[in-house]
Amino acid sequence: MFLSSEYKKILGLNRRNQEYVRPYNPPSAKSIADNKILTKKVLAREGIKTPEVYKVIRNKKQLAFLDWDSLPKSFVIKPNKGTGGNGIIVFFGKKKKETAWIRPSGEVMSKRDIILHIENILEGRFSMGSKTDIAIIEERVKTDPILKEYSYRGVPDIRVICFNNVPIMAMTRLPTKRSNGTANLHSGAICTGIDIGTGITTYSMQMNPRALFSDTYENIDATTDLKVNKKLSGIQIPYWDEILRIALVCQKASNLGYIGVDIALDKDNGPVVFELNARPGLGIQVANRTGLRWRLEKVKGLEIKSIKHGIRVAKNLFGGEVEESIEAVSGRKVVNINEKVYLYHNDSKDSTKPKREPFTAFMDTGVLTSRISKNVANRLGFLSTVKFFNSLEIPAKFNSLKEAQDYIDENIKKLTEDEKILRIAKTVEEDGVIIRPVVVITTKISGDKKDIEMIITDDMTYPVALGRTDLKGYLIDTSKTFK
Amino acid sequence: MEYSFFTQLLLDNGISRQILELLVAITLLATLVSIARYIFGSKTYGIYAPIILAISYSYSGLRYGLVVTATVIITTLISYSIIKKIRMHYITRIAINYCLLSITLVLLFLVVDRYGLGLENMSNIAPLAVISIAALSDFFIKQYVRKSLQTTALILGSTILIAVIGWYLITRQNVSDFMINNLWIIPSLIFVNLLVGQFKGLRIKDFLRFNSIISEKENVSK
Repeated sequence: MFLSSEYKKILGLNRRNQEYVRPYNPPSAKSIADNKILTKKVLAREGIKTPEVYKVIRNKKQLAFLDWDSLPKSFVIKPNKGTGGNGIIVFFGKKKKETAWIRPSGEVMSKRDIILHIENILEGRFSMGSKTDIAIIEERVKTDPILKEYSYRGVPDIRVICFNNVPIMAMTRLPTKRSNGTANLHSGAICTGIDIGTGITTYSMQMNPRALFSDTYENIDATTDLKVNKKLSGIQIPYWDEILRIALVCQKASNLGYIGVDIALDKDNGPVVFELNARPGLGIQVANRTGLRWRLEKVKGLEIKSIKHGIRVAKNLFGGEVEESIEAVSGRKVVNINEKVYLYHNDSKDSTKPKREPFTAFMDTGVLTSRISKNVANRLGFLSTVKFFNSLEIPAKFNSLKEAQDYIDENIKKLTEDEKILRIAKTVEEDGVIIRPVVVITTKISGDKKDIEMIITDDMTYPVALGRTDLKGYLIDTSKTFK
Repeated sequence: MEYSFFTQLLLDNGISRQILELLVAITLLATLVSIARYIFGSKTYGIYAPIILAISYSYSGLRYGLVVTATVIITTLISYSIIKKIRMHYITRIAINYCLLSITLVLLFLVVDRYGLGLENMSNIAPLAVISIAALSDFFIKQYVRKSLQTTALILGSTILIAVIGWYLITRQNVSDFMINNLWIIPSLIFVNLLVGQFKGLRIKDFLRFNSIISEKENVSK
């Protein structure tokens, strides 16, 4: 367990605090994130939407003079400096002819109950360090219909972790019956990873209620307590690029080098920032089935020139989780149109440590058989084969495929005299048909090692081109031109 | 007992052995809590609660200390669950809880006095130890207000576990004698804490927490 290199990719609490939170989040920036009113002010300057504030209650005197009739049917009460969703109460509706409001669970809270709750907020019961606090009464976000389908009553949100002006990882938190309509993972909300590249959901998890340790998770595939439970992977999060942009604007505005931005999708207003988090939790790694550490290390020190640049870097470096998800569902692997492959040296085939070299291969669905350039074939131990084939007095071109085939049939013994030549292939090129030798090269594509028949050709744009025969079982992602 | 030169010097200059033992024990217990937190990932009710519990247990004896602890927690849980249904301010709730706690502890002493229950020496427990254990109630409620009962109970469990380990260490005569005679141990504990404070690796709890990622990856690579 301790030896697995995968653990080195994971970010633990010790490293998060020492390498990212402390050095990159100065106290002045943390004070913005830890203060919801200040957060709203700072974000408003950047044109970022946050839920509208109806009332701010700073002391019991203001509470005594609160105009209850001016409150709408649905609203949210939260402590200004609350932590972990503590003290937040959502009201969905107002009881007819009474000064009482209804919670997502159906519980009715009277004016007296709400006053008591606000008094507890003012006393600092839910706040950091238990200092006195301020109560905020704000607009309840009306969830976008797409995410609403997957949530049990409450408001789902999307968390994006950003570092060095690059979105690093994202997840959506979906309220459940167990979480009583809150998007709090510790209460039992579902957490679904999001592919940074596409904004499509990948894997999901929920905190294990029966575990001895409250922080262990179980993987789930579908919602748990809706009338008709729905599959959680493959959901396209609306406004994805806008969400990434907002997360980076929030990072810039707050000056938090390592930040978690919580964004809700409002039916009418689109993405709305709920809060900024200077110490975002690490559960996001489980939902994305990958560690944060290697991603953070990958972008550390990069010079990011603009928000667009940051998004582009994130998509190219970290996009692709959805591909793994597709693989899990369809059994097919996703490869880039230009994919890095490893070709094994022919002369080290039988050794215990075969020699291999990385090359960029072009996924060429226009041809049937894969091809390799003469130069690369020489490097891989086919120099004598190439020399042998060149030494044969073969016509440079044939006028038709039939003519080429007849020639092959007549001279097959001579043409395949070199033991490395498996067969002879005919290739149709600009000025006619050319015959070329086919050899077998061991190739590793996307983790799969296989023997591939390749035609040795003259030099091409790419050193290797994989044809349709060898692309069976793969899906080609044409959106990426480099990795 | 013969002491080292430096220890003898301190004892001759107005520091009693008991105070010295306690002060040294605090450094050991504090280090134990920091190791438990940053190496094992075990949360406690801060650093004060496990230290004060361990010291209280050393004065009350572990059996009696645990009985008082259990009484305090059960009473707090029941009383708080009832009181929270009544509309009132937070501090008044805590105050009522302490009143009920005092009554329960008095009843406990009466019951033990009458029926024994294998706790015949209960009346000889140092009062300050009982009061210190009773203070656990406050830590428990503060946590319970914010977190679920399961989380609160888990943190309580690790607080008591660390306190018990601490109690075991500080009540061993040879450990105590060694520490009293080797006061260089205190700067070395500072060094240990400096090392623990710099530790960036995964906590033992992190391994359990993120085990699912590794298992998934290993399944995929197979």
